[in-house]
Amino acid sequence: MPPTRLTEIAPRRNVALVALSLVLAGCMATKSDVTVLQQDIMLVRAEAAQSDSARRSEIQRVIRSMQSLTDSVSAIATRLTRLRADVQGRFSAIEEDTRRLQELAGQSQSRMQELRAAVESRVPAPASGGTTAPVPGPNQLYQLGRDQLLRGSTAAARTAFEDLLARYPESDLAADAQFYIGETHAAEGNAEAADQAYARVASAYPRSPRAATATYKRAVAAEGARRTREARQLYNEVISKFPRSDEAALARDRLRDLQ
Amino acid sequence: MIARALGVGALSLLFLGGAVAASAQDTPRGVRIGLSYGAGVKPGVIVMPVEPLPGDSIRTIVQRDLDYGDRVTVIALDSAALRGLTPAAGRRFNYPLFSRLGAAAIVRITPVAGGYRAEVHDVVARKVLRSDAFALPSTRGSGDWRMEVHGMADEIERWITGVRGMSRSRVLFVRGSDVWVVDSDGANQRQLTRGALTMSPAWHPNGKLIAYSRYGAAGTRIELHDLETGARRVVRATPEGLNITPAFSPDGQQLVWATNREGGTEIVSASLANLASARRVTVGRGTDNTSPSFSPDGRRIAFMSGRAGQPEVYISDSDGTNVQLLTEFTLGGTSYRASPAWSPDGRLIAYQATAGGFQIMVLNLRDRAVKQLTSEGVNEDPSWAPDGRHLVFTSSRSGVKQLWIIDSESGRLRQLTHAAGARLADWSPYLAPTLSNDQNAANTPD
Repeated sequence: MPPTRLTEIAPRRNVALVALSLVLAGCMATKSDVTVLQQDIMLVRAEAAQSDSARRSEIQRVIRSMQSLTDSVSAIATRLTRLRADVQGRFSAIEEDTRRLQELAGQSQSRMQELRAAVESRVPAPASGGTTAPVPGPNQLYQLGRDQLLRGSTAAARTAFEDLLARYPESDLAADAQFYIGETHAAEGNAEAADQAYARVASAYPRSPRAATATYKRAVAAEGARRTREARQLYNEVISKFPRSDEAALARDRLRDLQ
Repeated sequence: MIARALGVGALSLLFLGGAVAASAQDTPRGVRIGLSYGAGVKPGVIVMPVEPLPGDSIRTIVQRDLDYGDRVTVIALDSAALRGLTPAAGRRFNYPLFSRLGAAAIVRITPVAGGYRAEVHDVVARKVLRSDAFALPSTRGSGDWRMEVHGMADEIERWITGVRGMSRSRVLFVRGSDVWVVDSDGANQRQLTRGALTMSPAWHPNGKLIAYSRYGAAGTRIELHDLETGARRVVRATPEGLNITPAFSPDGQQLVWATNREGGTEIVSASLANLASARRVTVGRGTDNTSPSFSPDGRRIAFMSGRAGQPEVYISDSDGTNVQLLTEFTLGGTSYRASPAWSPDGRLIAYQATAGGFQIMVLNLRDRAVKQLTSEGVNEDPSWAPDGRHLVFTSSRSGVKQLWIIDSESGRLRQLTHAAGARLADWSPYLAPTLSNDQNAANTPD
């Protein structure tokens, strides 16, 4: 026989006591006493029923509260998801706008550069009284170098870029000039000189976007020459120093291929 | 010499529709009225009849090639009349007479053992400028024979103008769902593939190999097609999905194409020695990047990208670095620039852009000046001739899509194909005379 639980025993015990009193009272009590006893029994039953009802309603209230809480949590979660999507969408839009602005900035910079070169070429040389030739400005020298490079005159292009660095070492175009010196060597197939020139870009102008490109080119050249360890190190350098650059994305691919 | 002083006198004799400018009927003694050669003025050239008579088809081809080259004015005179002006062996041409006809140069082609000898006479200097012998295959009228005649015409043009002609070349194109090829003068049109959807054909620099995108169960994959043997092979590095717009590097060692990656289309590159794996060239971050075209030195590529929100033409180093937006970007604009083609001399990039329908543009890399070449109909997919002056493109100007050729200097147009539906042309480099018609006929159905 299973053990009887205490919670079940308590009301039964009350009823048993009343019944016992009734039996005893039957022997000794009057009729009015029996009536009172009956009323007491009914009262006890009513109290027990009331107690059960209160418990039930309490449980229902708790359930309702929990449902409400669940609904609130669900609503908050939905709102958070929407917010996240919204933020992501806006972030993508900002990224897209930034990219477009970068494109425009790059193009505008190129146009500005051409314009500056044109202005410099029109500025009259200072009257020195002698026969000294007018000194070209940095933009003119840069444009000259680019033009020469475009037509394949790498030596002439390099002279223009070197001249720019010698005359205007603090120019905004210094990093670009140093980078294109590397390009002229690379176009001539002189890998060692190109590597040195590119290394100089990264060391002298570490904050220039050209530094990422120059380092990546060094890595590609090292990989091509089967200097795998050096290539790996340079690819990692691109990724760690310029993680958001195109070169970093390319370097990740190359590193994966090198595994 | 020839190009310095082009004397043009008045002479109506023998003139049958040529380009001689007549003037000065009553020239006082001791006074010479004539034209001096200047920039934009094309020297007049007379091609003498080629004997014996069947050789005259050679004259026709050479005259047409020189005409299509747009660097000289071919003075087309009647053969019978010109025969009377041909000097006997050991005698000289009557140079003053030819000068009055407007000729700066006379081309004389005579048969020799195994071929023909071509002579160019400098009418002003009154002497032979240059001569050489050209071997011709015995099968008159065959594809190889025609190519050799074209080669002779190209050399003649180089002797006269200093610039080689472009007639010894062919044009690949798509008609229906197949790849076709046609000689640069519109002759000898042949079908190369059959039975599957093929697109974007591209020449290898050796002129013996082509690549195209071929649609199959695994999507579109890049296929290489040997024109000498007819053998085909799929590039293993082209996975299932989208693989389009292949192009070879100028040294012939790299193949680049566009493939779907990371939610967009990226340009990738593979060595022809190892076509099992490809490396990414562009970083489009989910955008479309297609239609690569190499610079002549192979160090740079031009391509179409939508990374700025709308298709524009970009250039970058061939390793993917140093990216520059090439075409003018208009924020909020709706422009569409695509299908870039880098000119063989490296100075220009041709592309298509929206300007009342697609039109062909040419951008000068030096100053970024843009020149619109076409304005009639829809004009797309330009490809440069090996002379760096002419472009073949798809145009709807005749009512249906056809291939047309335009001289980028003068704007002169000619229609290359006449069967409907030709598109996606790619002009070959100068061809060696090894292409056999029979080997390349489309006789290998899938």
